[in-house]
Amino acid sequence: MSPFRLRLPPTLDSVTALQEALDSWSEEAGLPMPVAMRLALVAEEVAANVANHATGASYFEFGATLQAEGVRLSLTDDGPDYDPLAHTAPDTAAPLEERDPGGLGIHLVRTMTRDAVYAREGGLNRLTCTLPLGG
Amino acid sequence: MDITEAQEAGRAVAVLDGRLDTATAAMTEAKLTEMLKQGGLIADLSGVRYVSSAGLRVLLKAAKQAKEGQVPFAVVGLQPPVREVFEISGFDKIIPAFGTRAEAAAA
Repeated sequence: MSPFRLRLPPTLDSVTALQEALDSWSEEAGLPMPVAMRLALVAEEVAANVANHATGASYFEFGATLQAEGVRLSLTDDGPDYDPLAHTAPDTAAPLEERDPGGLGIHLVRTMTRDAVYAREGGLNRLTCTLPLGG
Repeated sequence: MDITEAQEAGRAVAVLDGRLDTATAAMTEAKLTEMLKQGGLIADLSGVRYVSSAGLRVLLKAAKQAKEGQVPFAVVGLQPPVREVFEISGFDKIIPAFGTRAEAAAA
């Protein structure tokens, strides 16, 4: 299975375009349904994060490579220095009145993937993680 | 995302069909907000197999709107991938979820 790679302008329309392209790739790769769902979710969250926050980015690029231990994911953009993993996790035990919708996307990504790492490399933001195939 | 209106034992039901995500959050929010102005609401998610954080925001706003208006709000028919997202986010503790519309209407 050849790796998935797609570069798009950082807009919300691109988030939908990314998901559609990724769905086809998941199907071709024969990913089990729960894994394909998590992959779509992680892709949406990280891409929407760039579309919503990275003013100044001219593109984002999403990559997915099927490996023995899982799907290796990467999200690169040329926006200003921004580490999405620096935010503290939301309090998922707080009562309704105190629940704030912020941070839920990255919380989902952190929970569903392993080894999430952010790096600033050569003027680019780069987020990498691995989506396990089991579980 | 398609949303149709139904009734269950006198309670309004929003029947959602499709993905609840970045692309569909705004239209879903507008519909649920409008329906909640009329009273209590059950969101039937049997036809939803995908909810992202953008979708969770919509449901959180609906639950808060219902609480402020002192009307009931519940979800029913959570599919396994949606239930997983609810549990990771702690939404299973703040939004009442039932198996069927009848159970939600009777609660």
